[in-house]
Amino acid sequence: MPSPRWILDVTEEPDGRSLRIWLKGRDGRVDEQVVEYRPPFLVDGETGRLDALAGELAGDPRVASVERCAVRPTLFDRRTRPLLSVTPARNPDRKRLAGELDARGGYVRFTLYDVDLAPAQLFYLERRLYPFAPVVEEGPGRLRALEPAATLEYEAPPLRSVPFAIELAEGRRDGIVRADDTIRKIRLGGIELEGPEEELVRELGRELARQDPDVLLTSGGDAFDLPWLYRRAAAHGLTEETFVLGRRRAPYRPARRAASYMTYGRIVHTDATYPLVGRFHLDRANSMLYDDAHLDGLVDASRLSRLSLQTVIRQSPGTCFTAMEMAHARDEGVHVPWKKNRPEGFKSARTLLAGDRGGVILLPPVGVHDRVDEFDFASLYPHIMVRRNLSIETLDCPCCPRSPVRAPGLGYRSCTRRIGLIPRTLGPLLARRLAYKAQAKDPARPDAERKRYAHRVKMLKWILVTAFGYQGYRNARFGRIECHEAINAYARELLADLFPAAEAAGYRVLHGIVDSLWLEPKDREHPPDPEAFARAMSTRCDLPLGYEGRYRWILFLPARTGLGVPNRYYGRYEHGEFKLRGIGSRRHDTPLLLRRFEGEILDLFSRAPDAPAVRALLPRALARARLFAEKVAGGDWPVEELLIAHRVSQPLVEYSVFNEAVAALRQLAHHGVVREPGETVRYVIVDRRARSWRDRVRIAELLEPGTSYDRGAYLELLARSAETLLAPLGVGRSALLEEWPEPPGPPEGRYRSPEAIGQRRLPAA
Amino acid sequence: MGRTAPTYRQALEERLRRWDSFGRLLTTPEERAAFERIRLGARRYVAQATYVGSPDLLESILLSVLLDLARQLPPPAEGAAHPASAPRAAARAR
Repeated sequence: MPSPRWILDVTEEPDGRSLRIWLKGRDGRVDEQVVEYRPPFLVDGETGRLDALAGELAGDPRVASVERCAVRPTLFDRRTRPLLSVTPARNPDRKRLAGELDARGGYVRFTLYDVDLAPAQLFYLERRLYPFAPVVEEGPGRLRALEPAATLEYEAPPLRSVPFAIELAEGRRDGIVRADDTIRKIRLGGIELEGPEEELVRELGRELARQDPDVLLTSGGDAFDLPWLYRRAAAHGLTEETFVLGRRRAPYRPARRAASYMTYGRIVHTDATYPLVGRFHLDRANSMLYDDAHLDGLVDASRLSRLSLQTVIRQSPGTCFTAMEMAHARDEGVHVPWKKNRPEGFKSARTLLAGDRGGVILLPPVGVHDRVDEFDFASLYPHIMVRRNLSIETLDCPCCPRSPVRAPGLGYRSCTRRIGLIPRTLGPLLARRLAYKAQAKDPARPDAERKRYAHRVKMLKWILVTAFGYQGYRNARFGRIECHEAINAYARELLADLFPAAEAAGYRVLHGIVDSLWLEPKDREHPPDPEAFARAMSTRCDLPLGYEGRYRWILFLPARTGLGVPNRYYGRYEHGEFKLRGIGSRRHDTPLLLRRFEGEILDLFSRAPDAPAVRALLPRALARARLFAEKVAGGDWPVEELLIAHRVSQPLVEYSVFNEAVAALRQLAHHGVVREPGETVRYVIVDRRARSWRDRVRIAELLEPGTSYDRGAYLELLARSAETLLAPLGVGRSALLEEWPEPPGPPEGRYRSPEAIGQRRLPAA
Repeated sequence: MGRTAPTYRQALEERLRRWDSFGRLLTTPEERAAFERIRLGARRYVAQATYVGSPDLLESILLSVLLDLARQLPPPAEGAAHPASAPRAAARAR
């Protein structure tokens, strides 16, 4: 038997009717196989209409074949039905053709299945293969995987991953790039290439062939390196055929365009994507997953989801989860609906109000506390979905009208006869995460292995987190809003049940958020055994409650009203780690100055063994704050540490107020740079009272070492940061500002630029 | 969440904004401080009110405010008849 090889990737061929399979051997050799593959999609509808449609499509040149088939298309079907199976002549036409058929049916008479799965994804599912599968060849073009995708212990193919970056003349990279800037230097792995641009680009081609990496790892390659390189290559007369970054040619245009969209209440931006063929381009800057999951976690997710590594890294973990659901569904012969045609069921206003609620979120008592025990449910929501059998087809099923499993307060029933698609998908993921977590903590294993498991754990954690949110997402293929509501209802009941149980065990409830509890012993001399409490509660609720640790001290921080904020606290565990939530160091927009200040305060408090010791350290904390304030007021804090990052929320023209961020955007626009919503601008406040965008801030790209900053503005930011951290100890921002040195005011009678007049807003009528 | 109908938190804040005008015509600092305490009391029990999920916003607000005031009352003195036990005692006498 020939030694096994691994599938690296499956890519679409330009002819539109076949796929190319990329195989990697243990010796590092990469082979390719081209197989003809045109997957059909299915059309469901009344038999008469389907017959008519089949007749119409018979002579259509865009259709390779139309056949009648008998399948069980949805999770709700118990037996097979006759459907129409349409095979387009070219794979890239699948969606267009399907859209046209949908339109012919007036968007209501036909339901379409398997339309928007990538041909490679369908290929994997149909042939029982998956990315990075070890395979043997059983005949020409017939590959067989040696183990199932869900195998826990597997050998991943040795991927050669090299960092890749280009540098422009004058070292421009994060600065403002001009349209005619040329490439001066290219880094590939350990090699640095330099020279005249045209020669440089050609040399890169030779170096790529020599090193033959599997992965080009970039930081910003989608936004900058690849498009710029393609652009410069084209300027020297090179083409997609003659200058290739992958193992075969890929188009120079992006596979997907850049986009700004709203998610979880904030605007995010994704760059255009530039995947390669036969080689992976992984851009860590255009990925929310790489830094957590690394290659190990991404390869694991790619195996389970049947999505290419290049897709996994650029998509949200929710896409992975959906693909995993699809894989499970297809495994059972169920097909994937193109558009979800399942409107929310009719509900009374009272049920709507009762259902549309999240988990329990208490307001914690503001102040310094010690001897606090923290408990967390591990993956609570996925566990609830599995334990209570919550899935699109098992909720309020017609087969179990007397099911005893009902969502508290809402009454939605769970099926007791069969296990739903979601639990079937999630159950193995939960088990997998637990198994890997144990391996990652096993001290007998070498460090490198433990890290690999830890990366897989991180990736699975992300996937599990999104599994819940996707139940409420309007477009989720297998999502259903009632599942989302039921999960929340079970979770609320769980915490309401735990509070009295904790009191009975000798605790006082300090704080609780959805799946976490902070408890304080009633009797400080005889505190309850936390491990025993966690075990007892896990048994009682049939859900895994874990003991996170005991805090030496923890500060719950107040809102402006003086009441506690659920998600704003910091503390130190007895095992030495810190936990920070909702303070500056956790936010992306905080200047380094404030991070340093917070670091100093945390460092100072780190030696305190309990709450009184923290209070005793307050004078020293205030002295540190004053030192910071004096240096800031003196005007010689390094400006690059004062940069504020701001996430753009709308296009520049739509801003109706004038503030620092707008001034920064206008400075960028002046230099021909447009920032899309979801991207960030970084700037230093130069004069917060200036009415002109030229004077108010200085953007990072134009920052020079001598740039002066608005001392008053930064003193105020510092005071606000001190107040955030120290408010439970009675520190207020206005008192600090009064005590601190006064910054020098603006020079008398300074000339202000004439834009000021045009920018003044009209007074409100 | 919060798409179908405003969450209790959102509805409460909106109602409290409506109360702003009430506060503007209060003329003594004592009244204004007391008014602030009432608003704080309404905010203190958002978690509990959300858990009930009552369609009656004012019911939740009033309950929160009443509880906030009641918890500040001195506890009943030792030996004094607990108000809750009075009717039962009367029933036994009959």
